[in-house]
Amino acid sequence: MKSKIGIIIGREFNERVHKKSFIITTLLTPVLMLGMMFAPVLISLYSKGEQKQIAVVDESKIIAPALQSSDEVVFETTPLPIEIARKEYSGYFAVLHIGSDIMENNNDVQIYTNGSTSIALEQNIATQIEMVLQNEKLKKHNIENLPEILADIKSDVNMQSYKNSAGEEEEAESSSSVVATVLAYILSFMLYMFLLIYGVMVMQSVIEEKNNRVLEVMVSSVRPFDMMMGKILGVACVAVLQIVIWIVLIGGTAYFVLPMILPDEIMQALTMMREGGAQAAMQGGAEIGMLQAVMMLSNAGYIATILASLLVFVVGGFLLYAAMYAAVGSSVDSPQDAQQLQTPITIPIIVSLFVMLSVINDPTSELAFWFSMIPLTSPIVMMARIPYEIPTWEIAVSAVILYASFLIVVWGAAKIYRVGILMHGKKPNIKELWRWMKY
Amino acid sequence: MDLIRIENVTKRFAKHVALDDVSLSIPEGSIYGLLGPNGAGKTTLLRIINRIIAPDSGRVMFGGKEISADDVYRIGYMPEERGLYKKMKVGEQAIFFARLKGLSRKEATCRLKVWFEKFGIESWWDKNVSELSKGMAQKVQFIATVLHEPKLLIFDEPFSGFDPINANLLKGEILALRDKGATIIFSTHNMSSVEEVCDHITLINQSKNILSGNVDEIRHRHGANIFEIDYRGEEQDILKALAGRCEIMDSVPSPTGFNKIKLHIATDEEVRAVIAAANESVEMRSFREIIPSMNDIFIRAVNGNL
Repeated sequence: MKSKIGIIIGREFNERVHKKSFIITTLLTPVLMLGMMFAPVLISLYSKGEQKQIAVVDESKIIAPALQSSDEVVFETTPLPIEIARKEYSGYFAVLHIGSDIMENNNDVQIYTNGSTSIALEQNIATQIEMVLQNEKLKKHNIENLPEILADIKSDVNMQSYKNSAGEEEEAESSSSVVATVLAYILSFMLYMFLLIYGVMVMQSVIEEKNNRVLEVMVSSVRPFDMMMGKILGVACVAVLQIVIWIVLIGGTAYFVLPMILPDEIMQALTMMREGGAQAAMQGGAEIGMLQAVMMLSNAGYIATILASLLVFVVGGFLLYAAMYAAVGSSVDSPQDAQQLQTPITIPIIVSLFVMLSVINDPTSELAFWFSMIPLTSPIVMMARIPYEIPTWEIAVSAVILYASFLIVVWGAAKIYRVGILMHGKKPNIKELWRWMKY
Repeated sequence: MDLIRIENVTKRFAKHVALDDVSLSIPEGSIYGLLGPNGAGKTTLLRIINRIIAPDSGRVMFGGKEISADDVYRIGYMPEERGLYKKMKVGEQAIFFARLKGLSRKEATCRLKVWFEKFGIESWWDKNVSELSKGMAQKVQFIATVLHEPKLLIFDEPFSGFDPINANLLKGEILALRDKGATIIFSTHNMSSVEEVCDHITLINQSKNILSGNVDEIRHRHGANIFEIDYRGEEQDILKALAGRCEIMDSVPSPTGFNKIKLHIATDEEVRAVIAAANESVEMRSFREIIPSMNDIFIRAVNGNL
């Protein structure tokens, strides 16, 4: 009897990819993801906001002349006493009151806002006042050439971080820990969703087939093992297709659409950075963190490693969990009955999620290493580590362990499945499943 | 020649014996009824023939050789609980099952068109199974079962759920398949269908084969030598004529003059003498043996008084 896995994979695959729900989630998810990633950036880039006018009542006469207006905020000094000013300038964003003894009592500053307040603005004002006070206090010490000295000591630090690849001739690659962290979150959550959603999908589909007795018709022409593997592989193809579509959609958008909507300054800075490194770009006046993030995301080798590992671990993790879910599905009559048997499968998924949170703080810890090797937790934990550019051998070993344990688990699951699909009417416990496995 | 020979098959499940040393032979080209009360082991036996499960001991011979994995292409199985994917289109689904039985997509489509036309259900092709009624779904399932033209067809309770018209249609199709050379096994509780279509039966009770053979032969074998005469004439005349030749079990005179009398004749040799005597005394209209129905035999056999 030649294997009919192919026919079954085809059916499982076609049934799912033609569903409206599949088409909708596949197309909408990247839109949502892109929206969530870029909306805040774009909003902050384009929304200059209105200028905020602030009336300043300065009883000390020291601070007000030194306050610097900017695009966002304009200071306007008023001679009115504070009580009257508060009424008079009710159309302004706020009224700032600086007490006469501000030099002695640094806390004698109040701001009365007429609408919502803004933490960024308050901090801006506080910082400016601090600077003025520090300068005034320095002046009291009668230092010669003070303005020159102050100009001279002013320093601004922008640290650039690079991946240290010793022994390689290429230039060190710039890396961004913010990007790595964001990617780690996204990737490991993606794994979590795929394992859980697609795993449960396999289980429910087995239960459904068992309930409407399709299994009994099929089992007269197909080996139970082929039936189970056909279903698991069919659903795996659906998952892979979905991920590939997402990659294409997100990658395509990032490559073709972003350059059009990003402001020109950033694009210019990027070009400079590509040609002359970070130093050149900084001279162009762009913010280094943002540039490094974009550079890292446009590093082809880095992205390729991540995408390849994503496919390897989604497929491997899915196969491992789907085999267990299929075994549980085959042994019960309804999803309600499956609850209890499902718990041991769900626990490692939840555990990996907690471990992942700590892995993101320290991707090279012992905990991170071992949980990314243990097969049940490795898919999620490994995906949280890969964005931090861990050694390739670790990824390879973890993948080999994962696929090897899949072979062992599928062997046991097939035995449970073979017995389970013909059992109706009783709810087995784990002990019984164990017995079926040895049957 | 026997298409299927089941030799001393025993199957145990955890706590009970489902089949206990069952042997039977299914002649090629016959319609074979598998009878038995619920839980007797019929479905287990059908699953063993289908290679869904393996016997603990004993073996199944298919066409003279021990049954092998390739034989599933020559078997069509319709389980008692019909199984179809609810959310799949009727046509696609039938093609899917046919491909699992080794047909190519093209071949399956061709044959399906013919069957759908025959049953007048062409318009169902693109419907979801969930839109069909139970009877309609069973027609589809029947087609999916026979499409690959197997040598052996196994139906578990084929008539349950069909209305009389469709049950007749199905019966006709089963007989036609037999005439084309297929061998058919079906399990049933419906005894009238056994008398109508089955050539041979096996009765399984409590995991054992308790009665096997040709339907007519079994019914005659278990006949109790009881006969009935319809006649016109005087009751006393026939009673007098038969006295001493046989035991009168019942005599029912009728005001219309068409009387009935029921007798028990001890041996076959005396039958002719009884007919001759009765014929002398009254105007005989009919003389026939009362053969027990399969229903009676079934109940007597299961209760152990056969």
